[in-house]
This record gives sequence, structure tokens and C-alpha cells, in this order.
Amino acid sequence: MDMDTALLLSILAATVQSGTPILYATLGEMFTERSGVLNLGVEGMMIVGAFTAFLATHLTGNPWAGVLAAGLCGGGLSLLHGIVCLIFQGNQVVSGLALTILGLGLADFLGTPYVGITTTGFQAFAVPVLADIPVLGTIFFRHDALVYLSYLLPPLFWLFMARTRPGLALRAAGEHPAAASAAGLSPVRIRWCGIFTGGFLAGIGGAYLSLAYTHLWTNNMTSGRGWIAVALVIFAFWRPGRAVFGAYLFGGVMALQLRLQAMGANLPSSLMLMLPYALTVLVLLASSARGGGRAAPAALGVNIEPEE
Amino acid sequence: MSDTPHTPTAVAPEPPRRAREAHAHLPPVVRLEGICKSFGKVRANHDITLDIRPGCIKALLGENGAGKSTLMSILAGKLRQDSGSILVDGAPTLFASPRDALRAGIGMVYQHFMLVDSMTVAENVLLGQSPDMVLRPARMRDEVAALAERYGLVVDPAARVGGLSMGERQRVEILKLLYRDSRVLILDEPTAVLTPRETDQLFEAMWRMADQGKALVFISHKLQEVLTVADEIAILRRGEVVDQFSEADVPNQTVLANRMVGRDVVLQVDAKRLTPVDTVLSVEHLFGPGLDDVSLTVRRGEIVAIAGVAGNGQKELVEAICGLTRPASGEVRILGRPWREFFAGPPGRRGLAYIPEDRQGLATCRQLDLVDNFLLTTRNLFAKGMFLDRTEATNAVKRVVWEYNVQPGDIAASARALSGGNLQKLVIGREFFRKPEVIVAENPTQGLDISATEEVWGRLLEARSSAGVLLVTGDLNEALELADRIAVMYRGRFMDVFDKDDTAKVEAIGLMMAGVRPGEPETEA
Amino acid sequence: MFLPRVVKRQEPLQWGSFFIFAAALVVSLGVSCALLAVHGKPPLKALAVLWSGGFGGPFALEDTLLKSIPIFLCSLGVAVSFRMQVWNIGAEGQFALGAVGATWAVLTFPVLPLWAMMPVMFLCAAVAGGLWAAVPAVLRLRFGMNEIISTLMFNYIGILFLQFLVYGVWKDPTSFGFPMTSIFPKAAIIGPISPATLGRVHWGLAVCAGVAVLLAVFLKRTRLGFELLAGGENPRAARYARMPYNLLVLLVMSLCGALAGFAGCIETSATVNRLQPSIMVGYGYTAIVVAWLSRLRITSIALFAFLLAGLRVGVEHLQLDLQVPAAFGGILEGMILLSVLAGQFFDRYRFTLKGRS
Repeated sequence: MDMDTALLLSILAATVQSGTPILYATLGEMFTERSGVLNLGVEGMMIVGAFTAFLATHLTGNPWAGVLAAGLCGGGLSLLHGIVCLIFQGNQVVSGLALTILGLGLADFLGTPYVGITTTGFQAFAVPVLADIPVLGTIFFRHDALVYLSYLLPPLFWLFMARTRPGLALRAAGEHPAAASAAGLSPVRIRWCGIFTGGFLAGIGGAYLSLAYTHLWTNNMTSGRGWIAVALVIFAFWRPGRAVFGAYLFGGVMALQLRLQAMGANLPSSLMLMLPYALTVLVLLASSARGGGRAAPAALGVNIEPEE
Repeated sequence: MSDTPHTPTAVAPEPPRRAREAHAHLPPVVRLEGICKSFGKVRANHDITLDIRPGCIKALLGENGAGKSTLMSILAGKLRQDSGSILVDGAPTLFASPRDALRAGIGMVYQHFMLVDSMTVAENVLLGQSPDMVLRPARMRDEVAALAERYGLVVDPAARVGGLSMGERQRVEILKLLYRDSRVLILDEPTAVLTPRETDQLFEAMWRMADQGKALVFISHKLQEVLTVADEIAILRRGEVVDQFSEADVPNQTVLANRMVGRDVVLQVDAKRLTPVDTVLSVEHLFGPGLDDVSLTVRRGEIVAIAGVAGNGQKELVEAICGLTRPASGEVRILGRPWREFFAGPPGRRGLAYIPEDRQGLATCRQLDLVDNFLLTTRNLFAKGMFLDRTEATNAVKRVVWEYNVQPGDIAASARALSGGNLQKLVIGREFFRKPEVIVAENPTQGLDISATEEVWGRLLEARSSAGVLLVTGDLNEALELADRIAVMYRGRFMDVFDKDDTAKVEAIGLMMAGVRPGEPETEA
Repeated sequence: MFLPRVVKRQEPLQWGSFFIFAAALVVSLGVSCALLAVHGKPPLKALAVLWSGGFGGPFALEDTLLKSIPIFLCSLGVAVSFRMQVWNIGAEGQFALGAVGATWAVLTFPVLPLWAMMPVMFLCAAVAGGLWAAVPAVLRLRFGMNEIISTLMFNYIGILFLQFLVYGVWKDPTSFGFPMTSIFPKAAIIGPISPATLGRVHWGLAVCAGVAVLLAVFLKRTRLGFELLAGGENPRAARYARMPYNLLVLLVMSLCGALAGFAGCIETSATVNRLQPSIMVGYGYTAIVVAWLSRLRITSIALFAFLLAGLRVGVEHLQLDLQVPAAFGGILEGMILLSVLAGQFFDRYRFTLKGRS
């Protein structure tokens, strides 16, 4: 194997790593949106997840405790969005923004004493047999447990939506809550589940950043990944398969950007850092121009008014 | 699909109702007793008592606003009655929500379907019904197909609802109810969205359901359909049951029509005729969603009324004429100018005025004060360069408020302080302020009391001297009192356009509204 | 059945927004104090510091007034966009571009006299900020692209662009490596109005007043302003009255960009006298809170901009006196916005105990 191939493979492997947190968050937001709720607070839930994951791992020494804490805290934060939008009929856009502001503030505030402290976190391990597949093994099967777990999510997501009774109900709540209600379901209750699950996954996405991507806590470690996830849901036309593609596309750009910086490329770092955001605009533009917005759940962002 | 041509009124030959006798003397599944319901001051239902029997199709006949839908929404648990009771199998029952009614075996097919477009037929039918955690698409399809087969409701269970015709969607709605073994099925104006062929298929399915012991309620204002399909008929007028007929004593169409419309003249105006002059509005071969080759001219000096039951394309026609939706094909010319050119800029003087039915949501902004509401369509008249002359506008509003007697006349109050009638007077005052030469008025007196109605009518008649008026109305009396010519609209087309003095045709308006051309044979009951 | 149920209000609550804000403030401060206690800080003392730092005394009020200037300008723009139901959350990036635009003017024409420098500076700031906002507007109108995400991404890109300039081509060679331009010439610095009586309060305040008056006149007196107000109130009525929707969207976005650009220009020129990344402290996001609280009532915007600026100043004092992290401000703002959103429910609905019968 020559140098270039090795470099390429390592960049591709890094792509999977950088893409994984975005994948978790994207699938989470997609789940929430399929239930009809727009939660723009992904960035906030992610960073809270990143911090609580770090903290729980730091305290218990067990990264799985960190993942659980991240999911629960991300989900818990998302419930604020539920309270505002499902109970109090608040505007979903503004509530999501507020959640982001709050989440960033919370993580930063609570995390200040821990900045720069390292923790154990997840370690990469090669999956027996699979890791030995040439090329693919190196790219996909020499990572940590959270990456492997993320491989299972998109198919599970699809199965849930297309093949289970709660999945059917969730879609109905997102497409036509009145129809769901007429069928004897409670769209509001379904949306609570959608919101919490989305927050839970966003939290795990954050946990990946502090437990696997790095093994420490720093302020602002999500740096816009939550927003990228929101954009990717649109890019993916609300389908999990395309979300994988989108997440790894961004993972690739981030990996490449890091690699170029490490190699001392002659580009100012601020321009390099712009790449993912500029790419987000381009990607969203491409899918909007193709009429991507039409794939949105019909009742997305529309509150269910209380019956009189 | 059959190749036989169908007239809009085509009625399938009645198949034998084998099982009818089997259910003849069963006690009612549901009995409504003394149901009353008011919305604010409007009395929608008053002391209604009604039996619904198994194996029997009961028609609720009445004009728009007679209270049919309200009554059935109460039965379906969507609305709650103010007083009176619902007896299911003889026991008084309280429905807190549609879910309760469904559980009691009572289901309703609303005019607006409750279906998820992006899901398949089978998924819609089984939504909230599937007993299993894991869905098996093949089995779901088979189940739904079997059910559809049993009642003759042909629809592909694997198709996405978004791609289905209205008729097919309606079948899915019915299948949803049948799947949960509903005993009472309420169909609210089910034929409004159907083609003649689909109507026939629906009727056959209804008979089949009745034969299998279901109780059906058929809400309609279409005489012929009611006579064709129903076993029992109840006529509602202004919220009360005015007549009930059982199978044995159903009268003929004319008697039924008179009972339904009850043409009691509440108001008469002295509409002297003017000599119509130049054409101000012409519509030629207009096609589009809900419109099927509509042609029409309106001349200065006349009122042309479009009579018809709501939902037969009037809304679409008005929106195209008034610049809200671009005509799909065909030509609309206003004051001699083509549509595109006429609607390029903001509304101006001597143009077109649109008085919409939805005064609160479309013609005005509830939160804004009277001056701002006035400026909505007159802003161009008060523009001085980029500025608006608010002083002049305020004076104009004061004048209009006085002239049109808008109460309360506080022009700084928000529009929601005005009652429906006063809001309408403001809208008319505003629109007439521009001295329009084409006026489109859509049910201008709906919801107004008698004095306000009289005033609005007077204004419209007065406006004829300088404008052509297109009056869209569901109120036959209004059309007859005001119009010089009447067009009857049915399923996106004009059945006929005729002069008000053509008494033979005027007599037949009721039938034409139901899709029957005079001279065609009446169907026997 | 005598369960409480929800009923729609016919008329909005009298003084509703005032009560809602007061309640929201109480809830938010309560939660924040609990967090402080968790952090081992004395909550009551913190409240006292927060109050005295932001509003207690002339020096505090001066600070608060200074901070409310950029927040006020950004909020006006955001409120105008929100009124048209355009979710422009890009004030932060437009602010950055305004600062860049103003700095470009200063660096390109360093020798202009004050009377020429000021208009050129503000013009460049408005154009840069306005264009930065117009791009997402055009993308939305032309391609249906979601403006929430595009404006947000433009925030990140705008801030990074500012950094790119001050770390690179615009860096002051004598700054010992700090990312900043050299200090502006005297003609490009917005000075204090009256150092003796008003302290550090600068002419930016006069700009705010001017902008507020112009905007009020625009909204109240011009045809386009009327169309904006009415069209935002009821989009269906706007269609009925044939209002130029696309033009209005483009207008509100550009206007917001220009106003945020003004804010960036003032912040650069008056506060730090040079361009440096530290001017980006999230005024653009605070503006969202203010705009949502006050809708498009200009006096309310001024009031809430002042209040939130005071909270910001108070948080700075917390930082100094009690070593509370600066992020405390984010928690406060987020909580206030969430509680207000929830509280506005009572503007539209009320609970009743009447039975269902």
C-alpha cells in the first residue's frame, strides 16, 4: 500500500468519525420532524449532551453511563420545547432558537470548571473478521462502539417508520394530526415521544464529540453541527438513507479540513472553517431547487390546537 | 370503468334490496332526542328528534345552513349539544370526543377527508387499528382488499392516497369505518365530490352496507339523490325538522323541493331594470380545477347572479376573476383588458371590486383599525409618491362610516370590534369608494340580519348604474330579488343562463341546482 | 365533568405582554439562581450584583445604554422581518458584515474628513449588511430555500470572514500578533455626545433615535410601510389586496441587514475604535429575544433592548465579582424567551372550569 492510498484511507476513516455525531443528530431531528415538530434546538441539545456525557464519564469512569446521561439530558432539554409547543402552543421556530441559546449557555456555564480536562471515553477496536476486509475494513470497522451503533440506526429508523404500528402513528401525527386523532390516536402524545427521542439522539451525537471524537471537554465543541443536522434533514428529504450520505459528506469535508490544516496547507484557518457552513448552504440550495421542501411532513411546525 | 355516457343525474337501476325486510322492525340503533345547539345567537339545531335504524338509509335533506352537518357532528362526537340526549341502543350516552362516538360504533365521513396523503390505502385504513406491533404490508393489503370486495368499494389497497381520485378517497374513508365494525355510518354530502359514475357506485355500496345491517345517514341537499337512495327522509329547515317521511309515504320531487326550500319571502326589494350597456367582464371557456368550460359576460347596468349550491365551482370562478388565482386556460377580460395586464398593479379607481364571503379572514385584518382596513384596497388612491395621505384617508373613512352607517363608528378601533353586518358595510363602503366598474359579490348577505341585508341589497342595486355586478349566492331568494340574469352553476359548469323574466326556467332553478335540466324526465321516487 | 378546559379568548389580555414578561422574568431568574446555587455561588447576592451592575447607579445605566444601542438596531430589523413571517435570524452575521463594510471604508479612504467619513462608513456598513441579508432572501424567493438555516449559516460564514480579514490582510502590523486592525483615524471614530453630562454615551444613540423615527414614519406614513404592516398581519388579506409579497420579503431582509450593519459599524467605530473579533458577542441573538418580546412596537423594542442590555451588563459584573461564567447570560436569555413563549398562551387562551355538557 503506497503512501497516497494510506492517506486516502485514513481520511475516509476520519470521515466516518466526523460524520457520526452529525448522523446521530440528523436522525434524531428527522425523527422529531416526522412527528410534526420542528425543533431547531439541536445545537443546544447536542452541546448539553456533550457536556453531560463528559461529566458522567468523568464521575463514573464508564463511558456508557456518559452516553445514557447525554441521551437523557438531551431528551430532557427537548422536553422544554415540548412544554412550550405542545402544551402552551408557542411558536416552534422561536422556541427551538431559545432552546439553542439556553443549551449553549447551560453547557458553557456548568462546564466552565472542567474545560480542558480529559476523560477516558471510548476506544477504537477492530471488529473481528470485518476489519480485515480490504479497504472497507479500514474505513468502517476500526472505530469505537458508538460508530458501530450508528450503523444500526438508519435501518432501524426505516423499519420503525415503515413497518411498525407506532411508526405509522408517528407519521400520521406529522402528516395529518386530525386524521390521527380521528383514528383514535393521540397526536400530542405521539409528538412528545417524537420530541424526546430526537433530543435523546441529539444528546448522543453530542456525547460522541466529548467521548470518542475527542476525550475532553471544551466550550463550544459542537460548533454548528446541530444546525448542519437541521439542514441535513431537509437535504435528506426526511429519509434516513440520504441522511447517512449527507452526514458522511460533511464528515468528509471536516476530515479533509483537519488533515489539510495538519499538513500545514497554505490557507487561512478561518477560510477552512467556513467550508462546512458554505457546504450547508450549497447542499440546501441544491435540494431546495429540486423541490426538497415538498417532502416535508405536511403538518411540520404546525401546532395542534387544544380542542374546545 | 364503463363506457356508457352518464348525464350528471344518471341513476343506476335500483338493485333488489333483498335484506330490507330482515331489518324492518328492529329498534333504532341510535335515537336523537330534543337536540338543541346554538353558536352564539345563531340557532343551528332546535329540538330535533330522530331515529336511526339498522339496515336503513336515512336521508337528511336541507339547504345549506339548515343545520344538517351540525346535527351529525353532534352525533359523531365532534360537537356537543346544548341540550337533548343521544340514546345508543336505548341508553343515554355522552360523547366527549369523536373517539367516544367511534367506540359506540358511530362514524362519520366528513366533507374534508381525514386521510394521510403520503400513506397507502391499507395504512390509512389500519391507522390506529392494527392489532400487531409489526405491520405486515401484504396481510394488511389482503384484509383491506377483502373488506373492499365485500361492500363493493373498489380501491387498490397498495396505492398512495395522495394519488387517488376524490371518489376513491371517499371509499377509503368508508372502509376505515367498516374496518372498525361501525354500526352507524354518516355520510356528509358524499356526492359533492363525485363523478356521476362514482355516485352510482357509492349508492350501490350504500345499499350493500344497509343489506348487511348497517345504519346509514345520508346528508344531502340534492333531491334526486335522496329520492334514489334513501329509505327514510327527514327534512331540515333552519335548524328544525319540518317533515319526516318513511319509505311508504315519500312524496314526489316537487313537493319535497318546496318543503326543503320553503320559499318564504323574507324581504322584497323594488329592483327597477336598467338598460345594460357595454360589457365590463367577460369570461370565455374558462377551465381549471373545479371549472369546466365556463363562459359569461356581465354588462354595465345589470346584476348577473350565479345561483347554485356551494362547492360547485363558484369559489374557483370568483378567485380567477378577482385575480387571486391565475386562470388555467381560457380567457378573462376585465374592462376590456386581459387578466395579466389588469392584475399587474395594486387595486385602483374605476376597476374591479371584490366583496368576498370571508369578510374576516380575507377582506379585512382583525387586528388593524378601520383606517388601515380601509386602506387595504384603497391605498393607491391615497398615495402621494411613496407616502400615504392618512389625513385624507381618515376623512374618507369617517365619511364612509357615516354614509354606510357602520356601528360602532370608532375608526381607531380594531376591525374585530365590528359585528359581521357592520364589517360587511365597511367592506362595501371601501370597495364602492373606488367607484368600481366591475363588482363581484360573494354571498354578500350571509350571516346578516334583515336590516343589514336590505341595506346591502340597496347598495348593490344602486351600484348597477355605473357598474356590472356579478353576484354569487347560495340564497335563491337573493338571486331572484336582485338579479337581471341568473346563471345556475353545477359541478363547475353553467346549467343555464337565463333572464329573470323567463318564468319557466325560474321555476326550475331548484332542479337545476340539483343538476336536473328542465325537460329531462324526472326520476320516480 | 368539571375538568378545567381550554377556551379561546376573544380579546387579548389587557396589559398581557407586561404580565407575561414579568412572570417570565421571575421564572427565568428563579431557575438561573437555582443553577448558581448548584455552582456554589450565593444566589441572592448574585441577584443583587445583577441588579446593581446593570441598573444600579449612573455608571451602570451608562453601560447598559451603550450596550442597548446595537441590540436596539438589530432588534428593529429582526422585528420587521418577523412581522412578515420571515424567520431571519441572521442579524449576527449581518452585524459582522456591517463592521467589515465600515472598516473597509475607513481603510480605503483613511484621510476623509469627519463629515464625509461618517456617511461613507455607514453607507458601506448598510450595503454590506443589507447584501448579506438579501442573498438568503433571494434564495428563499427564487428556490424556496429555508431562510432560517441559510441566515444562520451566513452568521457563521460572516463571522469567519471577519476573522479571516483581521487575522490576515487587515491585521495591524504593530499589534504584536493580536487579530485586529490598526486603530481608526480620529475622523472615523464616533465620539461621545457630551462627555461632561452623558459620559461615554456616544452619537450612536442619536443614530438609533434617527433610525427609530425614520422607521416609524416609514411604517406609519408610506405605502410600502403600510403594505408591510398589513401584509404581515394577514397574508391572505395581503393577497386579496394584491400586495407585492416578494418585494416586501426582499425589503424586510435587506432592511434588517442594513440596520444590523449600522450596529456593527457603531460598535466598531465607537466602542473599540478598530475592527477586532471581540465585537462579536451575540447581540444578533439577543435581538431575536427582544424582537419576539416586543413585536414591532418601536417603544417596546427600545425598552426591552435596554432591559436585556442591562442583564448583559449585570452578567459581566457577576463575572467579575462572583466569577460566574459569561454563559450565564445565555441561560437567562434562553429561559426568558422560553417562558415568554409559554406565557403568551394566556394571551390567546384561558382556562375555564365550566363543564362540558
